[in-house]
Amino acid sequence: MSRLLHRPGSVDEALALLAERPEARLLAGGATLVAMRNAGLVDASAYVALDGIAELRGIEQLPDGGLRIGAMTRHRETATCGLLRDSLEVVRRAASMIANPVVRNMGTMGGSVANADPGADYPAALVCVDVELELAGTEGRRRVPAAAFVQDWYETALEPGEILTAIFLPPPRTGRSTYRKLARVSGDYAIASCAMALTGGQGDEEIAVAIGGCGPGPLRDVGAEAALRGRLDDPGALAALGEALVALADPIDDVRASADYRLRVIPRLVRATLDDLRSERRAA
Amino acid sequence: MNLEGTFDVRAPRSLVWEKLTDPALMAGCIPGCEEIEQLSATSYRAVVQVKVGPIKARFNLVTEVTREEPPDAVYSATRGEEGTRASVVSADSVVRLAETNPGETSVSYSSEVSVTGRLGKFGLGVMRKKAESLSLEFVENFKKRVEPESAGA
Repeated sequence: MSRLLHRPGSVDEALALLAERPEARLLAGGATLVAMRNAGLVDASAYVALDGIAELRGIEQLPDGGLRIGAMTRHRETATCGLLRDSLEVVRRAASMIANPVVRNMGTMGGSVANADPGADYPAALVCVDVELELAGTEGRRRVPAAAFVQDWYETALEPGEILTAIFLPPPRTGRSTYRKLARVSGDYAIASCAMALTGGQGDEEIAVAIGGCGPGPLRDVGAEAALRGRLDDPGALAALGEALVALADPIDDVRASADYRLRVIPRLVRATLDDLRSERRAA
Repeated sequence: MNLEGTFDVRAPRSLVWEKLTDPALMAGCIPGCEEIEQLSATSYRAVVQVKVGPIKARFNLVTEVTREEPPDAVYSATRGEEGTRASVVSADSVVRLAETNPGETSVSYSSEVSVTGRLGKFGLGVMRKKAESLSLEFVENFKKRVEPESAGA
């Protein structure tokens, strides 16, 4: 009988294992996959654990001021990382709201992103700050913008045999950003969520907004954001952004909320998140 | 859940009927279909893999054509299960063909589908979205094989 668990020491080794065993599953932190396996939902013939690969761990600042987050970085480390500030603070806050301390100690950014659960917290935050995802295959590595990563319900740009290795963030821009999550109880998956960054000077503020939980992947409308530049105090203009995001939504009915509820809540979530950022600025 | 849809095929109704009842052609159109075999004049066996997130389910299906009204309608009942696992799928379907213009056929389908077991974990909302995108994929594959321009091109 062949081995159930493999622990390669490098990305190349992991890629070779996947090429030999197409039925094998990648095991990141195990917060989701191990739970699903224990529940009898998943029964792969082999697992390739990524926790022995040094290059997948940790957060580092790049020469251009951007950040590289290794795919195996645990939520807890992301949630306490001081490099995630200003426009990138939203990623730190999203990490701090994932599930509970046990899951945050186990779960990884790469695992969560690759699993592409529509109610997960990272996707909206990563789309809001325009990250790029590095995917490694036997042919080499490529980068995919976060906004193009989720292609359908639980379907991503990852090809069979590819591994999500790192998340590349642009340099932080001066400003504020936050993550607001609407959930039944603290620690649950989001019914809907809003990641928002405000940058630029007062009177000429730029806004970036991504909505989670209301479609297979996060919703973002860069054109509607640009139309709102410098007009954030105009309630009509802000409502137009909300409506533009509603138009992109493709929500489902599930145990958390109805699709109709999600559509109604999007514009309110945008307003409430902007209010959060405003009151933080006043308090500062 | 009930799945319904209509699509147009640029081919005469008699040809669409013939293709819809050709197991080898259908095997190439059904997303995730690994094999298909005709058991009798009215029954087929197929193996179809469905993947949602980390869950991959391989169903052994038997489809029984319960009534044929050539070239207007075909009724079928599909039952299947996933090896030793507790996942069970069943579907009662009707497909209707209408000639909208000479050489053009409108195909409409309606299917009452039930899925229990592992895939049920995702709930009805996601299952419906998944079923809708699989239907679109099927339509695309079917048109590619049946419509004149691309056939054999």
